[in-house]
Amino acid sequence: MTLNEARAPFVKSEASVSSMMRDVLFALAMLLVLPVVHYGIRPLVMAGVTMLACALYEILFSLIQTKSISLSDCSSMVTGMIIIMLMPLNAPLWLPCAAAAFAILVAKMPFGSIGHTPFNPAAAGVAFATLCWPKQMFSYFNPAAAGTIPAYGDFTAALAPSPAAVLKSGLKPDILPLDMLWGVFAGPLGTTGILIICACGLFLFAKRTARWDITVSFLIVAALIAAFFPRIACSSLTSVKYELMSGSLLFCSVFMVTDPVTAPHRALGRILYGAFAGFLIMMFRRFGAFEQGACFAVIIANAAAPQIDALLVGSQRLGDEPYDE
Amino acid sequence: MILQHGVKLEQQKTASLRHKIKILPVPEGMAEPKPLAARQGKLDAAGIIAAAEAAQIVDEFDGVALARKLKRLRRLKPDMIVACCFDEDPCTTSAMATLRENTDAVIAGLVLAARACGAAENKIAVATPREARMIKKINPQADLILAGERYPARVLLKRKLFASGKNAAYIGAQACVALTAAVDENEAQSFTVVTVAGDGVEHWRNMRVRIGTPLKFLLDACEASEKTTLVITGSSVTGKAVTNLSEPVTASTRCVIALKKIPRNKTYPCIGCEKCARACPRGIVPWRVLREIQSGAPDPVRMPNVQKCIGCSACSVACPSGIDLTAVISKAAAFKKSGDFD
Repeated sequence: MTLNEARAPFVKSEASVSSMMRDVLFALAMLLVLPVVHYGIRPLVMAGVTMLACALYEILFSLIQTKSISLSDCSSMVTGMIIIMLMPLNAPLWLPCAAAAFAILVAKMPFGSIGHTPFNPAAAGVAFATLCWPKQMFSYFNPAAAGTIPAYGDFTAALAPSPAAVLKSGLKPDILPLDMLWGVFAGPLGTTGILIICACGLFLFAKRTARWDITVSFLIVAALIAAFFPRIACSSLTSVKYELMSGSLLFCSVFMVTDPVTAPHRALGRILYGAFAGFLIMMFRRFGAFEQGACFAVIIANAAAPQIDALLVGSQRLGDEPYDE
Repeated sequence: MILQHGVKLEQQKTASLRHKIKILPVPEGMAEPKPLAARQGKLDAAGIIAAAEAAQIVDEFDGVALARKLKRLRRLKPDMIVACCFDEDPCTTSAMATLRENTDAVIAGLVLAARACGAAENKIAVATPREARMIKKINPQADLILAGERYPARVLLKRKLFASGKNAAYIGAQACVALTAAVDENEAQSFTVVTVAGDGVEHWRNMRVRIGTPLKFLLDACEASEKTTLVITGSSVTGKAVTNLSEPVTASTRCVIALKKIPRNKTYPCIGCEKCARACPRGIVPWRVLREIQSGAPDPVRMPNVQKCIGCSACSVACPSGIDLTAVISKAAAFKKSGDFD
């Protein structure tokens, strides 16, 4: 036998970047189950096209930069999947592809790919699409009145206002909070299955792929603002239920603010970051022009993350000193 | 406890623990060890240390001569002495197997070592409650503590005992057995128990090997496959690859791993997940040190504790990006020590 040289360590813990990304991808794929059951094959086609587009953009940029192509970390797939989750099902297919182009070619690759992105690429892509094509982004078809849905190609269907839009106009949505749990209402593709999002969150926290402290502080602040300053005339508990379950708030709390690359690294910093993002998202809902500004809130919180880290470095000791030999 | 330090590794111990320790015949041409002269004088601290010195016992955990270690400990006066009968490495079982088959000898050796360094308490550390129950069945008098299965188990145990106000010293299980043999039977340490594991060998076994036996002899006894491309001695975390199989087994060889495929992992940039900071038993924050080293002007103030690194590689194992953080930390420590900060 011929023996080779190799360097330690020869074992690895199970978690690797690609396995973490695969966990997220699996959780996101679970969100597609309910739409596929309700609306047929179109959600799958849209997700596939967006992920393919993301991968192609990444290859393209790597070729332009003459760098080696690395798709094995699956991060571009996750970006594509998050983008499609925040789009309405009746959006034309070019819309997620345009958002993906911005996400990969502007927000991700020029900064040095995974690990170096200052902003969440998916949030940047969705923000770009929201600013450029708000009409397509916020017109949701009515799931109750939907006929046959084509697998691809545009389709015109009866539109319905999403609960987020109804809340924005100061009215009470005509769907009960309990019915919203099952996800059959107008809204972005992946953000309506409230129960499945919760289950995905628990899965990611148990796998230690996402950090629970950001999500918890995010949701607590959002819930407190919803309870004390309700936008509609109702009891504070009802307001909390509607605010948390409408729009993409819950989806963002599980899949977007928990991104380790763009979040602060100290425990207290993460709690502050989550609270700041929760505050921003409620302010965007109240004062913003669009019915939901989750992606903008995430981007601004991302921008604040290094500042939060820098603020806390002085007050917190880096590492402890257990003992001396 | 939410904030546990260390790394959890997939344990692969059942295969080699299923069998008893097998005695490997001494290869032809190896000289028999010379019997020692009969021990004289009282069995006090100096007598025990003299016996350990005469028997040339080496502590298998750190490769230090036991006599030197006991002399040093006698000066330091620890409150407690702990026999390390756990294996940090996920596929090594030599310490556990030694304890299981020589429980009384380990206890006797531990008592002798405690007497030599003046420690009031002595305890045997095992990894899991299951192993503790098994040892209790063999000898109900064994005084056991649990070290856990997270990776740098010895350092984590040290940390735990230190937190509870105990200043403990650590000694290997095989060194305990050898000390008993040296004092009772005037035997020099000439055998060591080595675990042979990995997908390159047919039988995962604990072998009792004469010190100095070539590795080839040991691997042939376990039916190593021809397709083996990598042989590691030491541990799968910090061990080193061997290219020459005529290298001898030493007293501190606890494990030989034969692999068919060289483990390869892809390296990604740091994503800031902080798994390395949680893994480090010495309070280093490796990802921050990495960032500081990669920056144009590293600031030594911003890399605290790097000089305390013990090289356990827990950070490199935990890192999901596959970055060699151990090398980064040692580079930072060298930089900090150099004092050349421009």
